[in-house]
Amino acid sequence: MFKELDPILHSQLRLAVMSLLIGVKEAEFTYIKEQTGATAGNLSVQMTKLKEAGYIDVIKQFKENYPQTICKITPVGIAAFEAYVKALQSYLPK
Amino acid sequence: MEQTQFSPKDSLQLIESMINKAQNRFTENGHLYLLWGWVILACSIAHFILDYWQLYDKPYLVWFATWGAFIYQMIYLAKVKQKAGVKTYTDELINYVWLVFVAMMMLVEFILIQSGNWQLTYSAFLILYGMPTFLSGAIIRFSPLRYGAFTCWMLAIASMFVDFHFHVLLLSLGVISAWIIPGYLLRLRSKNQN
Repeated sequence: MFKELDPILHSQLRLAVMSLLIGVKEAEFTYIKEQTGATAGNLSVQMTKLKEAGYIDVIKQFKENYPQTICKITPVGIAAFEAYVKALQSYLPK
Repeated sequence: MEQTQFSPKDSLQLIESMINKAQNRFTENGHLYLLWGWVILACSIAHFILDYWQLYDKPYLVWFATWGAFIYQMIYLAKVKQKAGVKTYTDELINYVWLVFVAMMMLVEFILIQSGNWQLTYSAFLILYGMPTFLSGAIIRFSPLRYGAFTCWMLAIASMFVDFHFHVLLLSLGVISAWIIPGYLLRLRSKNQN
């Protein structure tokens, strides 16, 4: 029986962001952009969707007069990611 | 990364590659190991020369040079933090290990001086040097740090059989094995990776 894949996570860029954040404590927007190779606009849109789903926290602050955006995965995001990986396993040949 | 429809197999590959990107990020370039290794080595040799040949009656004053290294380290770490863009659990763990080490150094030194056992200072420092060095080596999976820590512990034992005036030289051997040699090897590894 195939489990339904979370539509929020079953998108290449959003999944890339979540996979990156699951292994670190927090990351700056610029770092995520660099690692995913996405454009700032597209990344911003996808991160807003993740934020609205409660999967990530986005903290905007100023550091030495420069705007800085810090992102971190939430407990809800961790649970969703784990459920997504579990669901993926049902699609793989045994 | 514009594609939205992709197979479960693609998903797993993407997850794996992104997790590897974050985990394989190797930031340790050995810079602070080399800084502290050379500063402690220079101070310990200077201390030994001034003390052994009685060139100066307060040879311990050479250790004030470590304050300069400490200030440099604070500035360096602030710059690295600003540049990194990411904070990993590994970085955080290593920071705590070294923080505990500094706290322990201060407490041990205070207790040794207060109890009149200051002659045990270098033996105690060798034992303490081993702790963060071994743990850092284990966390970043870098064996030379672990071997260096083990050497420090062996030197601490050796110090019990050596005249006190030579303890500071054992300390210099300790920093060569625990920080200077691994520091150069870390620098080499970092250069090869970048």
